[in-house]
Amino acid sequence: MTVETFYQVMRRQGITRRSFTKFCSLTAAALGLSPAHAQQIATAMETKPRLPVLWLHGLECTCCSESFIRSAHPLAKDVILSMISLDYDDTIMAAAGHQAESIIDETIAKYNGNYILACEGNPPLNQEGMSCIIGGRPYLEQLRKAAANCKAIISWGSCASWGCVQAARPNPTQATPIHKVPGLAPKPIIKVPGCPPIAEVMTAVVAYIVTFERFPELDAQGRPKMFYSQRIHDKCYRRPHFDAGQFVEAFDDEGARRGYCLYKVGCKGPTTYNACSTVRWNGGLSFPIQAGHPCIGCSEDGFWDKGDFYNRLSRIHGFGIEATADEIGGTAALAVGGLAAVHAGISAVKRAREKTGADQ
Amino acid sequence: MAMHAPQQEMQSAVYVYEAPVRIWHWINALAIVVLCVTGYFIGSPPPSVGGEASDHYLFGTIRFAHFVAAYALIIGFLFRIYWAWAGNDHAREIFLPPLARGSFWREILHEIRWYAMIEKAPKRYAGHNPLAIISMHILFVWLAVFMIVTGLALYGEGTGPGSWQHRFFSDWVIPLFGQSQTVHTWHHLGLWVIVCFVIVHIYAAVREDIMSGQSIISSMFSGWRTFRVVKGERAEP
Amino acid sequence: MTAVVTPNGFSLDTSGKRVVVDPVTRIEGHMRCEVNLDADNVIRNAVSTGTMWRGLEVILKGRDPRDAWAFVQRICGVCTGTHALTSVRAVEDALGIAIPENANSIRNIMQLSLQVHDHLVHFYHLHALDWVNPITALAADPKATSELQQTVSPHHPNSSPGYFRDIQSRLRKFVESGQLGPFKNGYWTNPAYVLPPEANLMAVTHYLEALDFQREIMTVRTIFGGKDTHPNWLVGGVPCAINMDGPMAAGAPINMERLDYVSSIVDRTITFVNDVYIPDIIAIGGFYKGWLYGGGLSGKSVLAYGCIPDKANDYSPANLMMPSGAIVDGKLQEVFPVDLRDPGQVQEFVPHSWYKYPDETKGLHPWDGITEPNYVLGAGAKGTSTAIEQIDENAKYSWIKAPRWRGHAMEVGPLARYVVGYAKGDPHIKEQVDRTLATLGVPLEALFSTLGRTAARALEAQWAAEKQRYFLDKLIANIKAGDSATANTAKFDPKTWPKEVKGVGFSEAPRGALAHWIRIRDTRIENYQCVVPTTWNGSPRDNQGNIGAFEAALMNTKVARAEEPVEILRTLHSFDPCLACSTH
Ligand code: HEM
Ligand code: HEM
Ligand code: NFV
Ligand code: SF4
Ligand code: SF4
Ligand code: F3S
Ligand SMILES: [Mg+2]
Repeated sequence: MTVETFYQVMRRQGITRRSFTKFCSLTAAALGLSPAHAQQIATAMETKPRLPVLWLHGLECTCCSESFIRSAHPLAKDVILSMISLDYDDTIMAAAGHQAESIIDETIAKYNGNYILACEGNPPLNQEGMSCIIGGRPYLEQLRKAAANCKAIISWGSCASWGCVQAARPNPTQATPIHKVPGLAPKPIIKVPGCPPIAEVMTAVVAYIVTFERFPELDAQGRPKMFYSQRIHDKCYRRPHFDAGQFVEAFDDEGARRGYCLYKVGCKGPTTYNACSTVRWNGGLSFPIQAGHPCIGCSEDGFWDKGDFYNRLSRIHGFGIEATADEIGGTAALAVGGLAAVHAGISAVKRAREKTGADQ
Repeated sequence: MAMHAPQQEMQSAVYVYEAPVRIWHWINALAIVVLCVTGYFIGSPPPSVGGEASDHYLFGTIRFAHFVAAYALIIGFLFRIYWAWAGNDHAREIFLPPLARGSFWREILHEIRWYAMIEKAPKRYAGHNPLAIISMHILFVWLAVFMIVTGLALYGEGTGPGSWQHRFFSDWVIPLFGQSQTVHTWHHLGLWVIVCFVIVHIYAAVREDIMSGQSIISSMFSGWRTFRVVKGERAEP
Repeated sequence: MTAVVTPNGFSLDTSGKRVVVDPVTRIEGHMRCEVNLDADNVIRNAVSTGTMWRGLEVILKGRDPRDAWAFVQRICGVCTGTHALTSVRAVEDALGIAIPENANSIRNIMQLSLQVHDHLVHFYHLHALDWVNPITALAADPKATSELQQTVSPHHPNSSPGYFRDIQSRLRKFVESGQLGPFKNGYWTNPAYVLPPEANLMAVTHYLEALDFQREIMTVRTIFGGKDTHPNWLVGGVPCAINMDGPMAAGAPINMERLDYVSSIVDRTITFVNDVYIPDIIAIGGFYKGWLYGGGLSGKSVLAYGCIPDKANDYSPANLMMPSGAIVDGKLQEVFPVDLRDPGQVQEFVPHSWYKYPDETKGLHPWDGITEPNYVLGAGAKGTSTAIEQIDENAKYSWIKAPRWRGHAMEVGPLARYVVGYAKGDPHIKEQVDRTLATLGVPLEALFSTLGRTAARALEAQWAAEKQRYFLDKLIANIKAGDSATANTAKFDPKTWPKEVKGVGFSEAPRGALAHWIRIRDTRIENYQCVVPTTWNGSPRDNQGNIGAFEAALMNTKVARAEEPVEILRTLHSFDPCLACSTH
């Protein structure tokens, strides 16, 4: 029997009713829902089959997968065994070669329009697409094929969502984020950016889809509002120091030891939409700022090219030069001021001459 | 409307800047000075203060001052738009430069030549000179719009989804620029454009006052423009 | 075609049947493998192709050297951190920055936790299914499994028959659901799987236990680096300031509570490795000890740079707790020192790689390295440039460059380190190796094999788990002595830098010897080159025709079923290939 409910699977796998209920309330908590929703989740899970997922890998570092398996609630094990049916994922699947590739066709045949396409990494367009080859062909082909018949796409991480490191200037492979891939079937795309995204955010997005049988509400840039509608800065525990004007001036200074704000050493928390300061990392244990490093903005589009990480102001590229707004603007202001001064000087001389001329 | 001061009225005065414009001008100037100084510090904060966070609110105050001045600028600007409609002809000059009028461009050329000291004699205008109009239109009106739009988009990030700033500004401005940091960068660049404008503006005001045979600075206090003959001027305009 | 003998002593014969595996799965990244099988299904020619490239070395040009760690860390999320560590070392080397003792201890703990984590996840989740058949686990007797568990690991608490029965029923229902997930289309009827059902059930149980536990191992890095994967690093030290009982210690990155957390994880990690990982290796190894294919280069040419400096800033072999040295032509008596600055030692060649050099007959030392893509197939390739049916290994055929040490193709990785350490008489390595060989009842030669590679990795995980404790104690002792410095920022400001400098940083990544070479001019990166473990192991041929470690290890292996070449996977996986790393 292929259509088994989530609850049945869990029960059959030896999970007690009690721990199932507990799981549901944890899931509710992870989704930021009230305990009352736990029952709703439980009911939903009791009546649902496992959701087929094809997890494709393009140009990437595989850190999104690594992050995923670090999820504390739900555990990656429970997601894979009980929530979804991870039919294709070349990083962990037993099959290889053509036996692996045939699974994509089998899934399309069996679940046409009903499986989720999870994309980690992105396809390159340069080098004939052959800087990412799968089965002797460009990854682009595999991606297009799997996308054409899916229900929706999840773009895992900053690679799939924005392009990430391989798309940083000058993007030698023309690595392209999923939503900009030419010729891709128009499917709903849920971006879950971050380099990598927080594990519990990844599993919560999956849990939400499985639980509520719908996709999470997205913001204007396609990210689930539930995790990406606030900046790191908005809920950062160092925020009182920001408002007070207490900054780390240099690493390991007195301010660093007191947990002052990291703004002056380049923190991008004020411009970064992610759940690090709320959900935090690895089961809520910490996040970059808590461990003393400024946020580098890893969930933002093109964060690699927004200037040096230890400088709060961006570098602006153009005309072969690179400088911050202050360097450019300060130079311009000096130039304008200088010109005005020179102009004033000449005007004064001219006026003085004319005066003497008139006096003669 | 720029117009030539009739020769026979040479010594007389024209009422150019009505009181609301003058009051607005100085409030606006003050707001912009505050915005520039606080904005600069938002980008590069002053040295850290020590002790407990609860003892201080320095950076919060800098930002607060920025936002207060920002609202002064915004409300003033909206009022100024209203006054462009309600006020006298001069009140419309910087908003509606007569771009389609050939003589306007010739006068701009004349002003450029005057500043380049090629032209011996200045032309006089009851309102702004055409070069001032075009530069104020671009470097003040549109820049103010740009700073207000990007500023409110940044402000909306703090007030959060659901707030009017977020709904009407952040929601489209941030995706338009790609991401928040880029909006900051452009907003920050705007600071320096304003600084350049202000330098030129004040310099030109002082210089014209001395050299162009018409009152400039005092006009912005009294509203009246007065004229006198300066060296090199022909009797005919 | 007749056989050719490579300079490094392998006889290649392309006359037999060509078998293609693409994609090679359960690895990081994308890879293709082709072999020629003779009439007896024995591999007589092996070709491994790295099938991805991103161009990090190109992207790094012109950037701030202090940011480089973040870029190169994204070379790989599986060995996350090791590139970052190597990068900050390269920059510190170039600028002459000495880091505080505490920073050294913290970096070592992070690197050691990576070693344990990466090795454990590799064995259970990427490699085990080459040896373990989860389907036959359904036939196991839970009671017998419990007895087996108690024999191999008397201390592990999860060993009751009821426990195994529960897991088995969970597994059964999973299989019966028809949605096999990651286990779909495995070679489950292949006779190459020899474990009895009880051992399979025990191993599958540990597959799940390890999946749960691995997430805890890495939390050490979450404490020090703020997140995992991709924790944060800093040129000049570590970003996590220490504040034990000064003002606002509770808001500091590192305080007593944080150290206690690390301590508890370190203890549990040691226990898990000793009670689960090592016993499983012995148990599974015991059933496969007759299958000693896959030695490849391991008995001939191996290379290690060394890592884990005991004292800060001293990267000489005597101060490194992981061994360094090079062995060539199987002469274990002679371990050569390695000098990464010497232009004649490490060089990269590209005549068989999809890159362009002005003169491809020569190799380039990484300080002068060039990375310019050039995707072309050889005349002998079958298919088209975007639908490859067969690679032509006589031309360019991989996105991996071919690094060589004094012209030799080298194997790197845990086995290489253990061979070098054993040859140098390193006491802990000798003790571990001898004990394991004795337990399994096999001679020293058995070490030079696929199984030896897998065993060395486990032994190294055991060593690394314990060494975390050593550095944690050291960190605490140093703080106790009054030193809580974590970063040296004297040269953090680029204005303090010379106009032009160059440096090299190295580490032992989980998969082997790793080094980054950097040139800095006018405070920006002028050139940045990485030569990565899987670049060594997965290397294509060089200008002399030497084959690399993957290809060498596959040679002469007998395959049970050509259509289900689990033996190829087994040997390739024993290197823990990381393709994102190899090509970067
Ligand atoms: C002449 C007009 C203005 C100038 C020169 C100015 C200047 C600046 C500068 C230089 C910054 C720092 C940007 C950075 O590097 O991150 C800034 C930030 C900001 N400005 Fe303005 N600004 C102006 C008008 C406005 C207006 C009209 C608003 C509307 C509310 C506004 C709201 C903000 C906000 C919200 C920030 C970000 C504060 C933060 O990050 O904490 N600004 N401004
Ligand atoms: C932040 C500083 C300032 C800004 C943004 C600013 C902006 C403006 C604007 C937009 C106008 C056009 C008014 C209109 O027609 O509606 C104007 C006119 C004028 N401003 Fe300012 N102003 C600033 C400071 C000053 C200062 C410090 C002075 C005096 C030295 C000054 C003197 C004048 C004068 C004399 C005029 C009339 C110019 C003319 O008739 O051509 N302004 N200013
Ligand atoms: N090869 C490699 Fe790595 C390792 N270990 C890097 O240096 O895996 Ni991604
Ligand atoms: S988004 Fe970042 S973490 Fe994820 S695969 Fe890409 S580079 Fe790795
Ligand atoms: S550390 Fe960063 S995110 Fe936190 S308050 Fe300071 S600037 Fe904001
Ligand atoms: S760097 Fe990334 S992990 Fe969070 S705090 Fe910043 S978004
Ligand atoms: Mg390289």
